[in-house]
Amino acid sequence: MNFKNLFITALRALNRNKMRSALTSIGIIIGVSSVIMMIGIGNSARIAVREKIFTYGANAMSVYDSKKPLTLRDVENIDRLLPQVRYISPFVYKSYVLTKGGGQFIYSRLYGVNNDFFKIKSWPLTNGRYFTEREIAASEKVVIIGNSVRTELFGYTNPVGEVLNVDGLPFKIVGLLTEMGQALSGRDFDNVLIVPHTTAAMKIMGKRTFDEIYVSTYSETEIDETVEQLKEYFRRTHVILPGKMNDFKIKTSKEKLQMVKYISNTLSILLAGIASISLFVGGVGIMNIMLVSVSERTREIGIRMAIGAKRRDILTQFLIESVTLSGAGGIVGMLLGLGVYYLIIFFVDWPFIFSFFSIIVAFFFSCAVGIFFGYYPARKAADLKPIEALRYE
Amino acid sequence: MVNNLIEISDLYKIYPISEEISVHALQGVSLSIKRGEFVSIMGASGSGKSTFMNILGFLDTPTTGRYVLDGIDGSTLNYDEKAEIRNRKIGFVFQGFNLLSRTSAIENVELPLLYMGGITTREMQDKARKYLGMIGLAGREHHHPSELSGGEQQRVAIARALVNEPAIIFADEPTGNLDTKNTEDIMNLFTSLNQDLGITIILVTHEPEVAEYTKRKVIFRDGHIIEDSPVKKRKKAGMKKR
Ligand SMILES: Nc1ncnc2c1ncn2[C@@H]1O[C@H](COP(=O)(O)OP(=O)(O)O)[C@@H](O)[C@H]1O
Ligand SMILES: [Mg+2]
Repeated sequence: MNFKNLFITALRALNRNKMRSALTSIGIIIGVSSVIMMIGIGNSARIAVREKIFTYGANAMSVYDSKKPLTLRDVENIDRLLPQVRYISPFVYKSYVLTKGGGQFIYSRLYGVNNDFFKIKSWPLTNGRYFTEREIAASEKVVIIGNSVRTELFGYTNPVGEVLNVDGLPFKIVGLLTEMGQALSGRDFDNVLIVPHTTAAMKIMGKRTFDEIYVSTYSETEIDETVEQLKEYFRRTHVILPGKMNDFKIKTSKEKLQMVKYISNTLSILLAGIASISLFVGGVGIMNIMLVSVSERTREIGIRMAIGAKRRDILTQFLIESVTLSGAGGIVGMLLGLGVYYLIIFFVDWPFIFSFFSIIVAFFFSCAVGIFFGYYPARKAADLKPIEALRYE
Repeated sequence: MVNNLIEISDLYKIYPISEEISVHALQGVSLSIKRGEFVSIMGASGSGKSTFMNILGFLDTPTTGRYVLDGIDGSTLNYDEKAEIRNRKIGFVFQGFNLLSRTSAIENVELPLLYMGGITTREMQDKARKYLGMIGLAGREHHHPSELSGGEQQRVAIARALVNEPAIIFADEPTGNLDTKNTEDIMNLFTSLNQDLGITIILVTHEPEVAEYTKRKVIFRDGHIIEDSPVKKRKKAGMKKR
């Protein structure tokens, strides 16, 4: 019997039990769709997180949590001692400052930095300019604002040149940052005010020390070395004896990237686990139904054998049935998974990543499940003796 | 060309029931049947008729003994070779019709061709249609067995037995589930298949009137043949067109 006829025969048999066929496939459908969905979401999350992390800045690191104050002298010393340092910026911040403008007000984060900070973070401007040397030296009240500050206070007009009241003081807006979007935590990157560190120190914080020092190197390969040298520098200047703990911390963008890698690897392992469990459960469902089907159709098998079906014909017929069930379940699951994935992505505004590979793999696996779990029932059918099958009531 | 289509000698079939008990369903049966014969096999219930037919049809194997069909020794055949012979040389008609339910008449009739290979879907349908027409069910091709009467179902089964143009038809109590009228129709059909198409027919029955349509009567008792004789006053039969 040729394959086409066997296939038609199998389809007819499935068609006769439409409801059961559909229910049997549900295991596979759910399995495959959740796999497709989660691989997709995993990929999107990875990209989204990576994008956010790059806003931290490439090859960047920062010294923070220092028990002894970080000073302008530290900044100057590091800049002089470490030739691989490309950009360096002091960093002070205040979490909530009252910001008034355009007749409205909001609470924003305020950063005090120098112009290198924008290079370290790769934060470009949409309008206006960075600070001038004069403005930094003279602690002038100039501010570069994030996009949310603009939209909240000035709508979609160009805010450069407007006056902003920050913590009770009038500041001149000189620049507008390009929109960055929300962090995964929901934190708004764009609700930010950036002023010269000197201005922050003199006019707002009332202190001359920094919360952090941001540094970036020319290339990624210099990060580890730079971290070591920074540690050396601060241990020396903070006079920490050998064997004692650092009284400061250093974080790098590399660590964050590694974190993302770790998270996405963990996610992948988890996904593989979910995938194999759900496909296994789906497969057992198929095996179960196929066994029921074989025993229900024992007489049919006997009739087919009596009129000339060979063992292989029966085996293939039932295998095709189970593979059709699992393969069709795989296709439906794929479409369903892609649909749900697309919906979710649409609402959280992550990039949609179409992974052809995951689709091929999911389909291949669902068919393999059909063969694997369908083989035993099909073998059972094929091994029936014609006379016994015919006599079966 | 072998003259005897069927050659049986000293056939035994023993069913082991437990270690001590076994059923001796056939106890040394020998028989020859020529091409074109129309044989009825009779005997009380449990006398071994079905066992015998199943062995003749390669559905079952004898415990010992020799069975040659059309020059082929059954003991030399493996499982798939037997399937092939059932498919090409033999047609079966059963008491319980044994049609596939929820499958149309024409699809039931096509079934043997499906396993034959080397034949197009178109040819299959044409052949199935031809034999359905021949047994008087033209126009009922797409009815399912549940929509047909017992007599009609048995005729679909006969069309299925004919569609592979077999040398021999084995029918185990084909009229056992039918009323007198349908029994007559079916027996007329068998008679004309034997006369007009020259198909050898072996038919099990316990009804003497049915046996009277055949040319030769073989009687079983307790796994032995106790009588083998020509039928003297055969029923006059002719295929009625409807
Ligand atoms: N599969 C089997 N296992 C055990 N005994 C069987 C089996 N098939 C038939 N028999 C026995 O063999 C004998 C002959 O049965 P069977 O050929 O069906 O007789 P008939 O068709 O003449 O009524 C009976 O005693 C029956 O019980
Ligand atoms: Mg019987």
